[in-house]
Amino acid sequence: MELKLREGVTFHNGEAMTADDVVFSLNRMYQPTFTPYVVRARDRLGNFAEAVKVDDHTVQIRVKRAEPLWETLLNLQQVMIIPEDYTKGLTGDPKVAEDSDYEAFSLVPVGTGPYKVAEFQPGQKVVYERFDGFWGDKAPLDKATVVRMPETASRITALKTGEADIITNIAPDQLDLINSDPNLKTEGSATALFHVMIMNVNHPNLKDPKIRQAMSLSIDRDLLNEALWLGKAVVPSSHTMEEMGQLHRPDLVTFEYDLDKAKKLLAESSYNGEEIVFDAFPHYYTNGVLAAQAIMEMWAEAGINGKLNVTDKWTGGDPEMMARSWSNPMYFADPFGAFGVMWAPNGPSESEGRFNTDEEYAEIWERFRFNGDVELRNAAYAELMERIKQDPPVLPLYRPFESWGMKSSVNWAPKKGHIPYVLDFRAGSISFN
Amino acid sequence: MLTYTLRTLARMAVTLFVIVSLVFFATRLSGNPVDFVLGQGITDEDRRLLIAYYGLDGSVWSQYWHYLASIASGEFGLSFLERRPVADIVAERIWPSLKLLLSTLALTISVSVPMGIAAAIYRTRVSGSVIMVLAFLGYAVPNFVLAILLILVLAYWLNWLPVVGDGSVLHFIMPTLVMSGTLIAALTRFTRNAMLDVLGQDYMRTARAKGLPERLVILKHGLRNASITLLSVIGLQIAGLAAAGSVVVESIFAWPGIGELLVRSAITRDYPVLQFGVLAVAIAVIVINALVDLAYAYADPRIRLAKGT
Repeated sequence: MELKLREGVTFHNGEAMTADDVVFSLNRMYQPTFTPYVVRARDRLGNFAEAVKVDDHTVQIRVKRAEPLWETLLNLQQVMIIPEDYTKGLTGDPKVAEDSDYEAFSLVPVGTGPYKVAEFQPGQKVVYERFDGFWGDKAPLDKATVVRMPETASRITALKTGEADIITNIAPDQLDLINSDPNLKTEGSATALFHVMIMNVNHPNLKDPKIRQAMSLSIDRDLLNEALWLGKAVVPSSHTMEEMGQLHRPDLVTFEYDLDKAKKLLAESSYNGEEIVFDAFPHYYTNGVLAAQAIMEMWAEAGINGKLNVTDKWTGGDPEMMARSWSNPMYFADPFGAFGVMWAPNGPSESEGRFNTDEEYAEIWERFRFNGDVELRNAAYAELMERIKQDPPVLPLYRPFESWGMKSSVNWAPKKGHIPYVLDFRAGSISFN
Repeated sequence: MLTYTLRTLARMAVTLFVIVSLVFFATRLSGNPVDFVLGQGITDEDRRLLIAYYGLDGSVWSQYWHYLASIASGEFGLSFLERRPVADIVAERIWPSLKLLLSTLALTISVSVPMGIAAAIYRTRVSGSVIMVLAFLGYAVPNFVLAILLILVLAYWLNWLPVVGDGSVLHFIMPTLVMSGTLIAALTRFTRNAMLDVLGQDYMRTARAKGLPERLVILKHGLRNASITLLSVIGLQIAGLAAAGSVVVESIFAWPGIGELLVRSAITRDYPVLQFGVLAVAIAVIVINALVDLAYAYADPRIRLAKGT
């Protein structure tokens, strides 16, 4: 794959973007040496071997196998283009990219986008200013200040007093409070991530797939949605999202609520009323503990003896873990960016010892990941989902609904598929009445 | 005086060493950051890489030794999450907290000392009882309730005051009121009791007998003698506030202070920040205590003399 570079692109520090910068930025992830990049690159960029400069405006990217997801994987946030000389010169030897250069870069980032970072205090605030050297449509805001306000009540008051124009992370039961004020409004969207329940297929008490099927079938996810999200969350029938385009599979029924079937499977299974512990983080997921409590009641209805264990420790790699809350984000708009990252052969779930794959699974996964034909990828994905249905390690509960409050005079809404901390203030995305 | 100073310094050094060690081992006991949020959905191999990256791969003792050695050379390390020197992070946070502490102290003392004196003098009248009832109420209202109430009235309804950050003098009003609420109540009661003790003393009668006006009797002989008790109470209260007692207020008003930072670092297991933050707060408390000691000596010649020997 050869890329022709746009001419006249300038970094925020005033330097022109060159083919060397692009090669440096791509290889930083394709051939990573810095530990956090090594970890990030492994599960999604494993097929990318290297980037090579052809001439001043041409860069060639080499992959190990034919890649059906070129555009998607080139656009990952992790491979954003950064200036080589600037980065290397941040610490130590200006000719070498040391770990400390990457660490320093995260505090004084420089890119080519419509806004530059003018001020950054991690955990407190970041100030963006319009970058006049941007190659495309100029940014509509002179300056945007993002401030961390941990308390919902303070955020809403700040919106009301005019200290803030937009506030984030509003729980569903607070929406009416904002919408009842004629000067304020809310916008929201289902986040590009699933809150999920994972089950340890290798736990001695859960080895029988029928038990795990019953654990899944007895959970009324629509009721959770009604009660906890006012019906605004999205409950999927399979591990799939609308944003996946041609690979969106609402037709598959991998996960459903069927109490009678759950009871029947449980009766047929080896289950004898053993306690099944469900671990949940205390604060990490909105409504996480409430959902877990409701699930314990739903299990009880089916005859499952559940016990909730609230802990802030990640127990996903613990062989004693039976079931727990987790999330499966859509890192990029493809099933590979959601299900594929978490449930690949030798991927994180299998590596943590709570999910098994075999040769057949690996063979289906290969077709799903690398086939050039969308129809064949889709068919392979359906096969994977059938495997998950028959021997379930995971149940996606819902896509949580994320809300923003803002002044009525602000025209802004989250874009579909954006994770909640992306604030798109590019030209055409935000304006004021 | 020299031996006294040296002894105090040595005691401070031992205290700091114990605190540093306690924080070090307490944090290690509760698991490393990779066990929490960072470690979700990564392979075993990557987990080991990350643990090594954060310098958490050796034995606890070798980590401890390494930590002590780096402290000795003035290096406090990088935050796990922010990847910048913890000294920078804590320095950024400690000044806003200190400013809030000072404004709280100023308000508390200027309100509660006169109120306490009045409550003692007028203890048999209605005004004295009213002050004590108010003090009792003030003590009973938790600071987060007071904070939400103030925000509702002064910001949400009246739109008089800002709620976010420490940008201007106006920003100080609500947090200071909230931080002072319980303190004023407590100190008013202490002042009243201390004054009551003093009012019945012989030297008060002597002062009146030699013809001093009542105002001077109260302020010069009464308050001066009561101030020793008050100083120790104030010293204790400051220590309590400085040691992350302002977490709630800092969270509610998005105040960029040290309390909120310490709590967040504890939750995310950002050990380097936690270790240095606790150390900084400990030093602050020790310095404040030393100042209170000096103030004692100023207020009570007997203490000055005893320490001189």
